[in-house]
Amino acid sequence: MPSDRIEIRDLSKTFDRDGQSVLALTGVNTSFARGEFVTLFGPSGCGKSTLLRLLAGLERQSTGEIRLFGQTPAEASRLKNIAWVPQSPGLLPWASLRANVRLSERLNRRADRAPDRRRTPEDADEVLRDLGLEDFAEARPAQLSGGMRQRAAIARAFVQGAELMLMDEPFSALDELTRDAVRLRLLQVWEKHRKTVIFVTHSAAEAVMLSDRVVVMTPRPGRVFREVPIDLPRPRTPDVLDSPAFDAKLREVKHVLRAGWEDAP
Amino acid sequence: MKRSMKRPVRRPVKRLPPALLHWLAPALLFFLIYLGWQWIALNFKSILPPFGALGAEFLSRPGFYFDNLLATLQAALTGFALGSGLALVLAVLAVYFTVLRAAIVPVALLLNVTPIVAISPALIVAFGFNAVPHIIVAAIAAFFPMLINAMSGLRKVDRETLDVFNAMSASPMEIFLRLRLPGALPEIFAGAKLAITAAMVGAIVSEFMGTSRGIGATIVMATTFLNLAQMWVAIFVSALTSLALIGLVVLVERAVIRW
Ligand SMILES: Nc1ncnc2c1ncn2[C@@H]1O[C@H](COP(=O)(O)OP(=O)(O)O)[C@@H](O)[C@H]1O
Ligand SMILES: [Mg+2]
Repeated sequence: MPSDRIEIRDLSKTFDRDGQSVLALTGVNTSFARGEFVTLFGPSGCGKSTLLRLLAGLERQSTGEIRLFGQTPAEASRLKNIAWVPQSPGLLPWASLRANVRLSERLNRRADRAPDRRRTPEDADEVLRDLGLEDFAEARPAQLSGGMRQRAAIARAFVQGAELMLMDEPFSALDELTRDAVRLRLLQVWEKHRKTVIFVTHSAAEAVMLSDRVVVMTPRPGRVFREVPIDLPRPRTPDVLDSPAFDAKLREVKHVLRAGWEDAP
Repeated sequence: MKRSMKRPVRRPVKRLPPALLHWLAPALLFFLIYLGWQWIALNFKSILPPFGALGAEFLSRPGFYFDNLLATLQAALTGFALGSGLALVLAVLAVYFTVLRAAIVPVALLLNVTPIVAISPALIVAFGFNAVPHIIVAAIAAFFPMLINAMSGLRKVDRETLDVFNAMSASPMEIFLRLRLPGALPEIFAGAKLAITAAMVGAIVSEFMGTSRGIGATIVMATTFLNLAQMWVAIFVSALTSLALIGLVVLVERAVIRW
């Protein structure tokens, strides 16, 4: 298996809920390249979070195999090589913003000494600057707006410098205008570092704007319906985002999603 | 309708600033209580002593009251340290061992509903006429509020932050020290405030028997001699001391919790 790809084979996940088994994910086969920005896109309950949690090693799959650049999720996690950005920012309220974005330096120190370590941690102050948070490094999360906190969660992931970044609807709690601003920030920082990102959303515009590829999923049971490559030029400047090509891609993704609905049992 | 469009004109009313009102209201209430007290004291001498008599009683022998307060404080604070310390340890263990949690909660509840006065004589029989029974009663009194608060604080942890920790394989110790424990501090301090008051009450009630020293003993002694002034000075000394102890906990809390 080539070690510069993320490979997912025959993946499925069954949850046990009150004695009943729930098939959350079935027959997922796909593969992503290093440095790709991939979006998992689909309606609520189609297994996006489940797939992401399996990739992070936060859950164990029922069947199938995952290889993150040749390693299992557990191995990559042990090397601190997976950065997780949750839906709520998940910041420590008692720590300053700088201490929060440097969390990875405080945890799992064994990973820093591992001979096979692969992460390249970034400078916290530089990442804070890139995300427009440099003036708030000493502030505590409670003193910040929702958009700033979410940017801090993203900063924390970039400072960790993991090869793989997993983001589960990180902007869904923000209002539309803030969302737009934070997306642009993420785009800029990502285009600078080019880490592999797997990003979950149920917004078609967000998916098209950010990604190189949109993985459209359908529910009951959750599975991958189709993948849409987003071959819009980078950097995704405002010109690109306002172009007819962007609108065409957006329509295509929405169309595929609808087809997925009709296809579903 | 035209009439409903009309806004009612508000005349600016001269109001006291809220901060002043905040202080004035309780001060006024205290003053009313004082007036009521004095009225009773002057008309029914056997119910309450006048405040002047209280002041005179205290100033005539402050050393006597400090001595007895010291004895009570020793029992209360030792009991607080032991009771709430044990509660904290158990609360931490209960996070990781659900069996332990299932075991201690009913026992703690039973301990909590057992009237302390009922345990006290048994402890005096067991441990004799020394400080040990009073320390134990104070410890039992402090145990429950700390246990309940610490357990509830330590049990809840932000799931999404926990995911962040787990995704980078943080150790259980790191999760405890960097996530669970700091998150539980507000509840632990709430428990400490309740526990330290309970320890004071426990120590005093326990001193009603089996000792000649302490605020509790002072109150009992005053009853024997129908010395109303002594009784009420002892009560006020213990109340003010409890208040000061809570204040001390709040000071530590403010120093530790800065978010
Ligand atoms: N821990 C769990 N226990 C039981 N069922 C779960 C659990 N997590 C997810 N599910 C179920 O799996 C399905 C997919 O959920 P999820 O991955 O959260 O979807 P999405 O993120 O796309 O909204 C849903 O039917 C959900 O109820
Ligand atoms: Mg989800």
